[in-house]
Amino acid sequence: MSFQNTWRWFKCTTKKIGGKCWGIWFLDPPKDISLDGYRIDNVIQYTDGVILFYFSIVVLLMIYFLIRYRSRSGHKAEYIHGNSKKYVIFSLVMGMLVFLTVDVVIEGMAFKDLKEAFWNFPKGPNVVRVEVMPQQFAWNFRYAGADGEFGNEDDLIPAQNQMHIPVNTPVVIQIAPYDVIHSFFIPNFRVKVDATPGMINTMWFQATETGNFEIACAELCGNSHYRMRGFLTVDSPADYQKWLNSLEEEGEPEEDDWGDEDEDEGIPTYWGWAWKESI
Amino acid sequence: MSNHEQSFMSKYIFSTDHKVIGKQFLWLGIFFLMFGGFMAMLIRWSLSHNMQPLPWWLLGDILYQNSPVGVGIIGPDAYNQLFTMHGTIMIFWAITPILTGAFGNFLIPLQIGTEDMAFPKLNMLSFWTMFLASIVLLASYLLPTGTAAGGWTSYPPLSTPVGGIPGYGQVYWTLALTLAGTATLMGAVNYITTIVRFRAPGMGYFKMPLSIWGLFLTSILNALFVPIIAAGLIVLLLDLVAGTQFLVAGQKATIPGGDPLLYQHIFWIFGHPEVYILILPGWGVVSDLLSVFSRKPAFGYKMTALSMCTITALSGLVWGHHMYTTGMSPLLGKAFMFLTLLISIPSSIFFLNWLGTLWKGAIKLEVPMLFALSVMWVFGLGGLTGLYNATITADIYLHDTYFVVGHFHYTMAASVLFGGFAGIYFWFPKMFGKRMNKKLGIIHFWMSFIPLNIVFFNMMVMGYAGHHRRIFDPSVFEFLKPVLQLNDLMTTFAFLLGIGQLIFAINFVFSIIKGKKAEKNPWGASTLEWTVDYPIPHGNFESIPTVYNGPHEYSNPKVKNRDWISQSEKI
Ligand SMILES: [Cu+2]
Ligand SMILES: [Cu+2]
Repeated sequence: MSFQNTWRWFKCTTKKIGGKCWGIWFLDPPKDISLDGYRIDNVIQYTDGVILFYFSIVVLLMIYFLIRYRSRSGHKAEYIHGNSKKYVIFSLVMGMLVFLTVDVVIEGMAFKDLKEAFWNFPKGPNVVRVEVMPQQFAWNFRYAGADGEFGNEDDLIPAQNQMHIPVNTPVVIQIAPYDVIHSFFIPNFRVKVDATPGMINTMWFQATETGNFEIACAELCGNSHYRMRGFLTVDSPADYQKWLNSLEEEGEPEEDDWGDEDEDEGIPTYWGWAWKESI
Repeated sequence: MSNHEQSFMSKYIFSTDHKVIGKQFLWLGIFFLMFGGFMAMLIRWSLSHNMQPLPWWLLGDILYQNSPVGVGIIGPDAYNQLFTMHGTIMIFWAITPILTGAFGNFLIPLQIGTEDMAFPKLNMLSFWTMFLASIVLLASYLLPTGTAAGGWTSYPPLSTPVGGIPGYGQVYWTLALTLAGTATLMGAVNYITTIVRFRAPGMGYFKMPLSIWGLFLTSILNALFVPIIAAGLIVLLLDLVAGTQFLVAGQKATIPGGDPLLYQHIFWIFGHPEVYILILPGWGVVSDLLSVFSRKPAFGYKMTALSMCTITALSGLVWGHHMYTTGMSPLLGKAFMFLTLLISIPSSIFFLNWLGTLWKGAIKLEVPMLFALSVMWVFGLGGLTGLYNATITADIYLHDTYFVVGHFHYTMAASVLFGGFAGIYFWFPKMFGKRMNKKLGIIHFWMSFIPLNIVFFNMMVMGYAGHHRRIFDPSVFEFLKPVLQLNDLMTTFAFLLGIGQLIFAINFVFSIIKGKKAEKNPWGASTLEWTVDYPIPHGNFESIPTVYNGPHEYSNPKVKNRDWISQSEKI
């Protein structure tokens, strides 16, 4: 298996561009099903390109010099210090060139994406709001219910580790953990946010496809950190509404047909907070 | 100081001679390098052979006999302890003692031309504090619940009593690290004073070898930032043993006012400079060695030294790039990203100068040179991949994944280790009066360079595929299924890498016992340490030398018959 992978890698690095293989990588990231994930893929891809370019220059020059200037009889090194003004200017220009072609571009892309997408929180009545409280070692979710307010009796609480969102609708989460630091990571959306005790963090994302996707805890949180797995179901708007309605019914919330067989971790009896409008 | 009679104890154990202390640090560092390296093997085994008993050659008959998941099997608790201690040991007990402790002690007085350190007794105290720290750290392995398991970063509240990790491992960890920091601080004060006050006549700052520049700047960073982490560790210790809750907040806190995020700031204000603390001596050594083995002055020496200074200054201003996902204010995030990216300017100048040194040289591929050249490769990859982590958007995806693990293994592990090996192979003749076996050295090089790249590069591949960090069993996640097959490949090459290091250990020990006797200046180097005969007496020089030349006087046409001239020889 492993050798096939290595071979695939060689093939990819030699042909790629436009094909299926990505940048200098032979394993693709999980399928992007988010509105803005492409922005992150793009900045990574640009960085791949410039890195490959500058790294190749260094390595090729190094190898060329090693061959051309190898020690042999009759060949003498030249006594050059490289401290002249000419050289100082040359090296500063090269440094600036790297800065302009690499750093400034990446920074421009990143700042633009943050402004247009990741830090540009959606507002309005159609935004889905979810409160998330990770704990050792499970995810708890809370929806506002009919009154649109959090932290009261009619909040909707799905079964542990289960989150549903509607497709093509912006989702804002506010997250604060019960015990230690966790990190809400949804690889298919390319985003994550830490959950730190004592503070409420926020993040938004929007799905472009329905389906089942995983939530991982990215921050070490104890011995079962590795199996702190959440199940994110992206529903069509109708299915989502049906699911919300099922939560309103009395009794134990229904289990998804996919998910883990783990016992519930024991949800704290009360949690939830009034939605923070200005964070 | 003359060569007076000394007892065995004061000559080899409680010695105040910087050369002896340097060797003591070297032995300590190599011991922990093997120890931490073995832990890496166990981690790799667990990742590719999850929940399978360890084979005999990984000491399966001795280790984990009382494991709750089965005899000789690494369970999730043990796994967390392994990567926690692997990181801690490699950074603070292997790399720091070798690069700063061993090279710093051995090289500084010899290369700047003085008798000993400014404070020889403080120097001895520094080593023995480190020794005590090592005992505390190793003692935590004897605890029934095992060692610390909160990661080498030990973020609270996980690392405090509310985190749910049983036992006193974390207390031992915190104590040991505080002691190690104290030892480092003592060394730093000593190095700075020695370099500022005791340079031989004629040895201006810009006549110092670049190794000394690296060690000097490292010491400045240590002196500035180790006290900060020490403060953080003491606060953590109070939370652990005195019932305070400085670093606990949220629903588990019973006292208001604590803040876990405070620790992260403290940790990374120290933690980012720590990267440069580790690598600056390596850069210095590599810059010097490229010059020696190209038989040509270090290209753009002043620019290299100034680039190192610039990076040192910037390193204190960029810690926030470790915290983009903590909910940091946008303005702060942008500032940290900009400052981080600035580092690429001095870094580019660095690489240009390294290439410039090779250009028109007469390059000899001795073993130290192979390792020095490989630093260009691994640090090139490590430094460039830092760009992804500096970029806020890319980091939102890549943070806390194996990508970060691969990146810092390239910068901290590979670059520093290869720089360290280059230095060990280079100065071995002056340290022990013997030559190391060249053939074994070349085998060691290739057995390090190839497997290391396969292992570390694939860490980044895995991270890009979404593999998050510190996962005992990645097969839990559906989206990681395509990544799993890589684990076998990586484990195989990690074992090869481990075997390669055994070759080094054998070469090292046998060369000390049976190696060929080394002549005074086997590499034809021009720095001052090569002007003294082995064994170098306590007090180093018969009379303090006067320095006339720069540190890289190779192929000077005014010198007849040979292609080097010592710093203390008049042309
Ligand atoms: Cu977690
Ligand atoms: Cu950093």
